[in-house]
Amino acid sequence: MKALLKLTNVTKRFGGLVAVDNVSFCIEEGEVVGLIGPNGAGKTTLLNVISGVYHPDSGTVEFNGKDITRMPPEEICRLGIARTYQIPQPFPDMTALNNVAVAVLYGKKRRNMSLADAELEASYFLEFVGLFSKRNTLARDLTLYELRMLELARALATSPRLLLIDEAMAGLNPAESLRAIKMIKTAQEHFGLTILWIEHVMKIIMNSAERIIVLHYGRKIAEGPPKMIAEDKKVIEAYLGERYA
Amino acid sequence: MVSLEFRRDRIVFRYGDQKYEWVIEPRYWRNPVIGALVLMVLPFLVYQYPNILTMITTANIYAAIAIMLSLQTIGTARLNFGPQFYVGIGGYTAALLNLYFGLNSALTLIVTILVSLLFAFLISPIVLIARGLYFALITLILPLIFLEITFVYGDIFRGESGLSGIAPLLNLGSVSWNYLAYYFLSLAMMLIYLLVVDKTMRSRYGLAMAAINDNEDVARTVGVNVNKYKILSYVIPSVGMGVAGWFIAHTFRTFAGITYLSLDFMVKILLMIIIGGRASIYGSIVGGYFVAFLEEGLRTLGPINYVVFPLTLILCVYMLPEGLWGLYHKRHYRDYYPKLRVRRR
Repeated sequence: MKALLKLTNVTKRFGGLVAVDNVSFCIEEGEVVGLIGPNGAGKTTLLNVISGVYHPDSGTVEFNGKDITRMPPEEICRLGIARTYQIPQPFPDMTALNNVAVAVLYGKKRRNMSLADAELEASYFLEFVGLFSKRNTLARDLTLYELRMLELARALATSPRLLLIDEAMAGLNPAESLRAIKMIKTAQEHFGLTILWIEHVMKIIMNSAERIIVLHYGRKIAEGPPKMIAEDKKVIEAYLGERYA
Repeated sequence: MVSLEFRRDRIVFRYGDQKYEWVIEPRYWRNPVIGALVLMVLPFLVYQYPNILTMITTANIYAAIAIMLSLQTIGTARLNFGPQFYVGIGGYTAALLNLYFGLNSALTLIVTILVSLLFAFLISPIVLIARGLYFALITLILPLIFLEITFVYGDIFRGESGLSGIAPLLNLGSVSWNYLAYYFLSLAMMLIYLLVVDKTMRSRYGLAMAAINDNEDVARTVGVNVNKYKILSYVIPSVGMGVAGWFIAHTFRTFAGITYLSLDFMVKILLMIIIGGRASIYGSIVGGYFVAFLEEGLRTLGPINYVVFPLTLILCVYMLPEGLWGLYHKRHYRDYYPKLRVRRR
């Protein structure tokens, strides 16, 4: 299998702080990869590097055999990488439908699509995540769960091949997070996505991901299937301290 | 092929495959159409009073500038504090070319568009490098520099006394006909601006601008080419303002830097879009007329009006945070159902 996303020796510094330190890994087509690590391990920074919000200081990011290290985020998005945010970032003063319509219109090459056509297509994605009844609600009036689903719909609307999920479960109650996981899994099967999934809740990531990458102080300390990670000494040390290792 | 059908609640007009419906029930009336009709009838009611005609002509020009400024504010997600810069550029280009080179108004229009396009493109990178306070400062300083230039090179620009004797746009023989004609020309300009901006805001480009207005960084990650849209929505309204300057120069036949480049004029335009309703395009027309009426009405008070005028405007901003348009819009927000909602700041 060919690697869909390939990071080689990616380093990102903020002044003296090394947020991501020499990280390399591959993600293959169709995989669900978990990215975990304690607070401040550089998970979100890594996501921002992949989606083009930050450019790495050294190292390269390749997507589908194409170097995207220095590309602006909008071009990376059009190549097929979509993301969601840890704190939902909708367009607060637009309706849910228009939120998704922006992604439909601009997330891929749609030169001659009118706004009405885009809204029609956007309604499909809204229906998919179960927000169709909220299509004319302003995004700032939605609840947290609905916002997360709106972000998912917006990400799916750009027809991505790789979906970057940044803590989709943060702040959701157990029932909602179960629904959210189900939704993400359905989306993965339905659209044939590859997913890189940051998550704090161990139980979820252990059940969902096929492979897990562990970051600690910006370094990759372990990589492998969930069972192996759960028994890895370095990982336990990073999470619980030396005593438990 | 062609059929006209009168129903109880609507008039249906069919032409080939096309079908147009005109709903007669008052709450579905197209308010912009009614507004335009009122503005078209208005001058015939007051045609005996040239000063009122001049006032509503000025109001139209104000509204045209304010509409363009609203588009710029929404599209760049930044408030331009120097809209009068392009008015000045347009006006001075027209006036100087007409007076010193004898170009007629059609030619000066073309050159005005080109010159303001050039300046807008040269200055447009500020929408990429500056935001918030820095953008406000840069845009605030630009027209003041221009004003300074009109004073320093006073023998060319006549910044204090003003260039006068510019060729009129048209001459119909009688003075009152001229006033009417200028009113309709200004109305046409304003309505064309309104139509263009309205169509833009309701199109896919409007959606991109709304996204930029809401959150630039997120707009980028869903694939909107933010830089392109910001530059375009800085440049195009700037050209529109330049054309408004050209219109001022050829209509009032005099153009002075001290009138149009000074802070007074800036405050007027900015308050127009605020009083109108936070950069809503229909609100800017209401704001334009309000400011022009107030300006003219307070003139009878004598010199004290220079204090009363800004105080009234400040009071309006304080009492009506949503603007005059907000008063209407609050009761009729359903009018805009499922249309674009844009954050106005």
